[in-house]
Amino acid sequence: MKTTFYTLAKGAAALATGALVMSSAANACGDVQMAEWNWASGELMANVDAFILENGYGCDVELVPGATTTTFASMNEKGQPDVAGELWINAVREPLFKAMDEGRLHAAVEGPITELGEGWWVTPAFLEKHPDLNTVEKVLERPDLFPDAEDPSKGAFIGCPAGWGCQLANANLFRAFKMADKGWVLVDPGSAAGLDGSMAKAAERGENWLGYYWAPTALIGKYNMQLLPFEVEFAGAENWDGCIVKAEQDCADPKPSAWTHSEVFTVITDDFKNAGGVAVEYFSKRIFPGAVMNAMLVYMADEQASGEDAAIAFLERHPDLWKAWVSEDAAKKIEAAL
Amino acid sequence: MFNIDWSKVTWVEPPVMAREELRELKKGIDGSFRGFSREYGEFLEAFFHPLLIFLKWFQDLLVATPWPLLLLIIGGLAWLGSRSKWMVTGTIVAFLFIGYLDMWEDTMATLAIVSVATILCIAIGIPVGILMSRNDRVQATILPILDVMQTIPSFVYLIPVVMLLGIGKVPGLIAVMIYAIPPIVRLTNLGIRLVDKEVLEAADAFGSNSRQRLFDVQIPLALPNIFAGVNQTIMMALSMVVIAAMIGVPGLGVPVLRAVSNQYLALGMMNGLAIVAIAIIFDRVSQSYGKRLQKHREGGHGV
Repeated sequence: MKTTFYTLAKGAAALATGALVMSSAANACGDVQMAEWNWASGELMANVDAFILENGYGCDVELVPGATTTTFASMNEKGQPDVAGELWINAVREPLFKAMDEGRLHAAVEGPITELGEGWWVTPAFLEKHPDLNTVEKVLERPDLFPDAEDPSKGAFIGCPAGWGCQLANANLFRAFKMADKGWVLVDPGSAAGLDGSMAKAAERGENWLGYYWAPTALIGKYNMQLLPFEVEFAGAENWDGCIVKAEQDCADPKPSAWTHSEVFTVITDDFKNAGGVAVEYFSKRIFPGAVMNAMLVYMADEQASGEDAAIAFLERHPDLWKAWVSEDAAKKIEAAL
Repeated sequence: MFNIDWSKVTWVEPPVMAREELRELKKGIDGSFRGFSREYGEFLEAFFHPLLIFLKWFQDLLVATPWPLLLLIIGGLAWLGSRSKWMVTGTIVAFLFIGYLDMWEDTMATLAIVSVATILCIAIGIPVGILMSRNDRVQATILPILDVMQTIPSFVYLIPVVMLLGIGKVPGLIAVMIYAIPPIVRLTNLGIRLVDKEVLEAADAFGSNSRQRLFDVQIPLALPNIFAGVNQTIMMALSMVVIAAMIGVPGLGVPVLRAVSNQYLALGMMNGLAIVAIAIIFDRVSQSYGKRLQKHREGGHGV
């Protein structure tokens, strides 16, 4: 899972501490500490927020680098940083909801990026050639279209690398959909590089590819990969949390299910909610369309741009989007600063 | 190409390529590699396909062989190599343990790829080493290439290999061979070059042609070094098992990766030690075989 992966990939993050003084003046929001994640979309979002708050609302923004669990722990315990822009909540679900019930943390917006999440993807060329095969269930009937290199009589389904949380979910869904009987093999790509490489290679060469991935990511945007919808509904949290995400021996009877809904919140602390004023309002409106986010990630990867460069590129390219998030007055100031 | 942003150059900041151009350069290299991959990838895949069939067949054979028979074969090979009943007993016990701890199938997959990689390395490496020993210019060309192959971080060539050949056994085998082939080449070259000049003069004096000189004098006398090379090649191939698992090669590396990312101490230890056990067996058997071979030769010289 994305969160698991990033949690694993990151080093321990240094978190700045220090008291926070909030100004109560209507338009000046004072000092704001924001979490800057160590993955591309989080970096971009933090920098867009920082630019808008600094130039539009006169805030003093400090970006605090961090990873999901460490940053969340600090927000929960110390009330620092004030804002976590792209918090993947699956990793911190229980403590987060507890803190929200107790009023220590608040969700400024649920789903700051649309169309995000995990699932099974195919190349756009495949959907063009086979417009009728537009759901997971229909594609699963045609393993012959995805011949495995080692045994072309079988279809290759590229799962998740060994050791990631999603490996178990993919393996259990593989069983739940009886894919072995239908003529599929579950391929372990071994690592992030293996998974990325196999998808990129197939997309570059116009080969068919069916496998697991997640969005928003540069690769999904770059190759315009298409998420296949499931025909079955999400078969309940009990099936998912009690079986699908567990090891095979703890999940005797997995039921077919759509992929669990990934949730991302923009989380703010109680102090910030009370004192942040206009900035809080901004966060509640700021929602990135998934396609725009993917395109920006492609830009970042292609140009090897930092989060800051990408934030400016975003503001320059999509004024229609961000102008809807801010007041007219702020929009003018931001435009002037670009 | 050599545009330097002089405004940034100081005594502590060396001349650096203009940022824009550096980016263009990187993008250009990436782009042309992508073009190459699109153009020739399928051909290369087809070229390596027989290798894939063979690897898969060999692994399936190892997995399908009844375990007592396989133990007998492995024990027999250990006996042939070492002529030591301790070696044979140790080998069989080690493999029984591996089976007992449920690592049999992964071990067979690892054995398959390591044996095929070793055989290919020997088949390619020894002729290259011989060529190097006979010509200084060839040696001067190949040595730096070997240096690069041994020191470049494997992650660097994993990316292009995956783009060209996808994930699976063949790209894994190539990654293993890039790392494992240098010792056998180096030590073959060195071994032949170290053969005593006087012995060669004697061979010439007896009227041997260059073929006889090579196969009957130089190679036999270089055998200890060549065997050290084979031995090192096997060790390096085994040490690449985990890296190869990163591009979808089945074997003992897969559980090791799983253990690393989940902090499964026992799982990592057990599979790591299985790799060590195989390495020790290969090492001792090949070493003692080399030594025995040498003893016999030395006896022939009456030393």
